[in-house]
Amino acid sequence: MLSADLLSYSVAGTLAVPHYLGEHDHPWLRALLDEHERFIGRPRRELEARLRDPLPCDSPPQKLGLAIRILGKLRPRERKSAVPPRLARAHVFGEAARTSAPRQTIWTMVAASLGVSREDLQESLFGDLPGERLVASPAQPLSAAELAVRCNLAVVQGMLFRATVVRIEIEGNTRVLIRHAKWRGLICSLAGRSDSGRATVELSGPFALFRNTRLYGRALGELVPLLAWCPHFRLRADCVFNGRRLTLQLGTGDPIFPSSSPRRYDSLLEERFAREFRRLAPGWDVIREPEPIASESTLIFPDFALQHRSDPTRRWLLEIVGFWTADYVARKLALYRSARLSNLILCIDEQRNCAEADLPSGARVVRYRRRVDAAAVLRVIDATTCPR
Amino acid sequence: MKLQFDRGTIVLMDPPKDLDLTAAPGLRWDRRVGAHRAPASRYPALKRWLLQSRAGFQDIPAPLSTPQELWLDVELRPYQEAALSAWELGHRRGVVALPTGSGKTRLALAAMHRTRLSALCLVPTRVLLDQWLREIGALYRGPVGCYGDGVRRWAPLTIATFESAYRHMDQLGDRFELVIVDEVHHFGGGLRDETLEMTIADARLGLTATPSRDAGVAARLTELVGATVFELAVADLAGGFLASFDSITLYLDLTSEERSAYMGLAALFTSAHAEFRRLAPNGSWADFTHHAARTPEGRRALSAWRQMRRLLAFTHAKRRALESLLGRHWHSRVLIFTADNETAYAIAREHLVMPLTCDISRPERDDVLERFRHGDLRTLVSARVLNEGLDVPDADVAVVVGGALGEREHVQRVGRLLRPSEGKRAVVYELVTRNTLEVGQARRRRQGLVVRRSAQL
Repeated sequence: MLSADLLSYSVAGTLAVPHYLGEHDHPWLRALLDEHERFIGRPRRELEARLRDPLPCDSPPQKLGLAIRILGKLRPRERKSAVPPRLARAHVFGEAARTSAPRQTIWTMVAASLGVSREDLQESLFGDLPGERLVASPAQPLSAAELAVRCNLAVVQGMLFRATVVRIEIEGNTRVLIRHAKWRGLICSLAGRSDSGRATVELSGPFALFRNTRLYGRALGELVPLLAWCPHFRLRADCVFNGRRLTLQLGTGDPIFPSSSPRRYDSLLEERFAREFRRLAPGWDVIREPEPIASESTLIFPDFALQHRSDPTRRWLLEIVGFWTADYVARKLALYRSARLSNLILCIDEQRNCAEADLPSGARVVRYRRRVDAAAVLRVIDATTCPR
Repeated sequence: MKLQFDRGTIVLMDPPKDLDLTAAPGLRWDRRVGAHRAPASRYPALKRWLLQSRAGFQDIPAPLSTPQELWLDVELRPYQEAALSAWELGHRRGVVALPTGSGKTRLALAAMHRTRLSALCLVPTRVLLDQWLREIGALYRGPVGCYGDGVRRWAPLTIATFESAYRHMDQLGDRFELVIVDEVHHFGGGLRDETLEMTIADARLGLTATPSRDAGVAARLTELVGATVFELAVADLAGGFLASFDSITLYLDLTSEERSAYMGLAALFTSAHAEFRRLAPNGSWADFTHHAARTPEGRRALSAWRQMRRLLAFTHAKRRALESLLGRHWHSRVLIFTADNETAYAIAREHLVMPLTCDISRPERDDVLERFRHGDLRTLVSARVLNEGLDVPDADVAVVVGGALGEREHVQRVGRLLRPSEGKRAVVYELVTRNTLEVGQARRRRQGLVVRRSAQL
């Protein structure tokens, strides 16, 4: 995580506004990448010494420090030593403790005993230390634009590291986000809905109730790459910078580099249903993982929202209850019963043998075997006036 | 009604409607989950309050205790007995301040042995983790848990690094009745304090050689662990339970080239620092660096400061003095302390002495200490690794070439020499450059060695 001196932001009222690296930074970023490339295969300490001096073009010191730090994360190559460094140290320092001979004599004696030249022995002595490791080329060529977004992500994560509570208005990819948040020990609660119907999820840790703790900052920062894949999101984080409470805002379109893409569908079953439904009902949108719904003290995530394009009031939530354990299904149905949704379609695997009494009252039920029949779902929709 | 441990907190489930919770210690309404919640550290007080209120409740499962028969006897020196009694009299809460080398770990073992409570011992580094595991293993025949250095293994007696405990206390917080914190002065300043708030352990013992003199930190530590219940300084034990030592300061000069470079850098730094002092008379060093990083002049001043430190780290005169001291103490066990790793490596290359730094792997460090113990190596050079807690075999000469962390660091470093043996008299050399910032630094760091208040019961 970035230290405070590398976090580039300005304060506007109660907002902390990150200074993103953009196109105007590309010239000096390219110069930095050129310098880095020049030192590939040479010890890291040499590159570090070079970068203590200015680049050939103007570069903002704080952003330059950040970019150097991000480049430094590229894994260095181990140096090949004529003698394993640990063995070299054991022999050289052991011999020096044993005899009062001049130091040059000790080097010569030890080199001879190990069958290498004195120069090779001297180079091997600390060949495994971080500064002696060799500068490596990135796995894929890194452009100035890519380095800029990596820096931006690091800044945002560094700022979120100082966050106590995060609220995210979100559409799509919610389940992945919440699953990750829960896995990291965060409490996820529904904090309301926007005018557009999007849910706002509040994420914080249990201990955040008592103090502005950084305990959960790392977990909150890890959510950022997942957000970059949401069709729409707006994030507000309460952060503490040098004892001052400030709000960080992020949103769709911010230049944030994503990690690897989360899987779009949980199963082939869901993927096939979405494809068939889109084909059969071109006037309907199929929204994967729509907003979560509060039920008891937790959140439930329908698999899809089916929404008519010209009439958004015609909106159905669809849950596919598939090959899960009996306990899981019972718990899920209990949550849906408790949520009392009037626009819910449940697709239930016939092999689950769910009794009618177990099903939420008011839910439309489509039973399926091996594949969810999109036409059957469409028939349920057409036969019902959506009560929403 | 039920108490439940939830990730470092205690949740009160289903309280009766007629129970007034406004006076319940630590409880707050958590709208996120629709329940009352308290920090786990308030569990003992909350439980007492519920019992006094005669409210029936289902308690959290009690942590397992350690069977007495698995312990061998732990013998203590008189001052260790006195410290343990003071802690017991303080209702098993409080900080014991004893000099390095006086047997704080043994005191902790005695506390675990006598109370038979399940215990979590927190240590600052991975090196100390190993050391504590070894020491407990010598007196306790049961399994010992470990959190740190890639290991996550729980047992009624567990050792954890500060970092691992901070990360895992949400799972460990309800499993121990006693928490022992080695080098407890690292807490109380806000960083990682939650570690001690997320555990239900009522009994708490803090150990340090260098208690904090900052009133705010001390007050916070009193909340987290307890007040200082017993304190002895090096001078209280030197010559008896600790070896006597001489402290010799060698004042050295810069060469004319070094002096000229130093004066130039000092002028750059001083003008920016004086300007900051004028604007913020009470500003801290952190405030200054934050302020300076915003302007080109400030950044030049910070750069000058770093260059001054580098210049002073290993001057020409220090090189010659070190050469001479190593020659004079050729047959002694010598520890050389530097301000940074770069200087440690420079000394290692120049004088062919083994460096012990954070870059040297743990197995190699263990091997080096073992060879030092047997005399196969007689001199080690280190920046920080040897500073704190590490059980360094019997050294009798220290050369302080440079330091960065002040009084606390110096006390810890001198402590490395104080393991007593027949007729031993240790010697500490400090190499200080005249008319530089080192003179003030050296004066300040020596203050930690003077006699402090003695045992307070």
